[in-house]
Amino acid sequence: MSTPNSMRVGPFCASVLVKKKYLIAYIFLIWISLLPAILEIWWYWQMLWYEPRPIHFYIFLPLYLFVIYVTTVLVAIFFAKIILVIVNIFHKPREGVFLRDPSDRDYRYWSLRNTIKKWPTWLAHKFPFPFLDNICFKMFGVKTKFSNSLFEGWVDTEFIEFGSNVVVGQGAIIQSSVIIGNFLIIRKTVIEENVRVGAHVIIMPGTHIGKNCILNTWSSTMVGQELEEGWIYNGGPAKKFKKNRFFEDIPIEKLTETIGDMDGLLKKYDDQYVKRKMKKRKFLTRKDKEENATEEKE
Amino acid sequence: MTEEEKDEQKVVKEDDDTDEDSEFIIDFTTSSAINRVSLKFLVVYIPIFWFSGLVVATLWYNYTISPVPWVIKLLFLPVLLIAFSFLFIFSCCFFSKLLLIFINLIHVPKEGIFRTEKGDTDFEFWRLRTEIKKITLWLIRNWPLPWIDVIAFRWFGIKMDFSSHLNDSWCDAEFISFGKNVTIGQGAAIMSSMVVGNYLIIKKIRFDDYSLVGGQSTIAPGTHFGEDTVLGAVSVTTLNQELEDGWIYSGIPARKLKPNQYAEMRRDIIHKVDVDGREKVETEHEVNIDDDKKHLIKQDDGGVNE
Repeated sequence: MSTPNSMRVGPFCASVLVKKKYLIAYIFLIWISLLPAILEIWWYWQMLWYEPRPIHFYIFLPLYLFVIYVTTVLVAIFFAKIILVIVNIFHKPREGVFLRDPSDRDYRYWSLRNTIKKWPTWLAHKFPFPFLDNICFKMFGVKTKFSNSLFEGWVDTEFIEFGSNVVVGQGAIIQSSVIIGNFLIIRKTVIEENVRVGAHVIIMPGTHIGKNCILNTWSSTMVGQELEEGWIYNGGPAKKFKKNRFFEDIPIEKLTETIGDMDGLLKKYDDQYVKRKMKKRKFLTRKDKEENATEEKE
Repeated sequence: MTEEEKDEQKVVKEDDDTDEDSEFIIDFTTSSAINRVSLKFLVVYIPIFWFSGLVVATLWYNYTISPVPWVIKLLFLPVLLIAFSFLFIFSCCFFSKLLLIFINLIHVPKEGIFRTEKGDTDFEFWRLRTEIKKITLWLIRNWPLPWIDVIAFRWFGIKMDFSSHLNDSWCDAEFISFGKNVTIGQGAAIMSSMVVGNYLIIKKIRFDDYSLVGGQSTIAPGTHFGEDTVLGAVSVTTLNQELEDGWIYSGIPARKLKPNQYAEMRRDIIHKVDVDGREKVETEHEVNIDDDKKHLIKQDDGGVNE
């Protein structure tokens, strides 16, 4: 239903390098997108305000405010796209593993792109109409269809491809860039048609999800994981749970069966759970390093 | 039995597992956010937006033409702006309810399993209903007093009162009933409708008194929370799961962790307040740590004292 305040996060990146000069682009976008709104209000005032009886003015005002909001979002998207095109001429966005450090060119430009996209996506996301979100994604180079519902989750705005009829659940995270330690990893995420992503799912960069897949809630994928076509996946990292036959024509009586055997279900989930054994690893302290160095010298 | 025979049996079992019936059991939970992106819903949005805007506009019109001196007008402007937004939200409530009543006359909302196709009336009307409710809930949750969204939920026909609290969660606005003092954690998704493949499942969720849901947990349709039940954070219930009275559940899928002792403590407090009233009654409550933890101390013969 409606997003709570604590979860209302639009598509933006979690850990972005903040630089004062990036704010210039940001402020420019806010300023230029509000200009048409002001112009529209002035025009409306000129058209419909006359002293004796300004009833028209009031009647069409709510509708007109709606139009103003939509144009503000569209203008913000338009100018953000222009700035993005200019930025991409200087440095073409590319996939790969980069150092997360201000000296790294890819990391800097990735941060700049995210800063530019922030204002229009935020504006579009702050509105109950979902189609503005989809326009936003389409303009920034995400391949989607208008029938997709991507607005309940958190979706990155570049290097993502969606097929038709994809559903992204509440609070799901679909990312094409992730920061691990000191590295920024950017890889293309592909989600094919008829995929149902459950609530709170986390999809890491480089994941390829085949057609007709269903992901259980709270499952997550690894970087570069391939999910086969037509399966239901569960767990973190996602493993095959069972064959997906819910896209076939099933007589509805069969679906109404409820889970009577709770223990069997728990066992089924437990079988999927894999314990990972940690190898014992000796971490070298500074003292050891110094000793090693002295040994080598000798 | 030789090993070969065992292997054969295993193979047979695996074949059984791929049998049809077990595959159609829905023992997992997905999401309810299905393609609500449709421009035709603007037909519903714009009248609600416009009419409730008109209500506000009439108030503003009266404000501008009133003969009060402008200093006083300016003084009361902030209050008036709050009143405007409040009025806007509540007129949105009113008009969307009108539309809902009209739509429910055409098609009565009901539980069940439906196909998510364009021809299916149940599916189409479900989408329409969620779309109508969404604008009001969205507005009321942007209002600086977030807990008043209980008013909107009640207005749309959910049975709950102000002792319950769900303003930090994702909640469907139909087919849910709350008892007293239900608390729902941050980011929890409460779905009375779920999309599985090509099918839409709508089933009622019931919360009994004093039940508690942890943060970021997902609740599937048809779940029944007993009295004093606690569901831990990051846990998931499956379709039609029954959570028993007075237990703490946790995990994916939710399983019993331990009995809920906190509920008993709370019951004691309430009980004492009710019975004793203003009279002073001295109750002796022995707190002896050594005595309480006796069963943890190891005995000489190696066993544990019970």
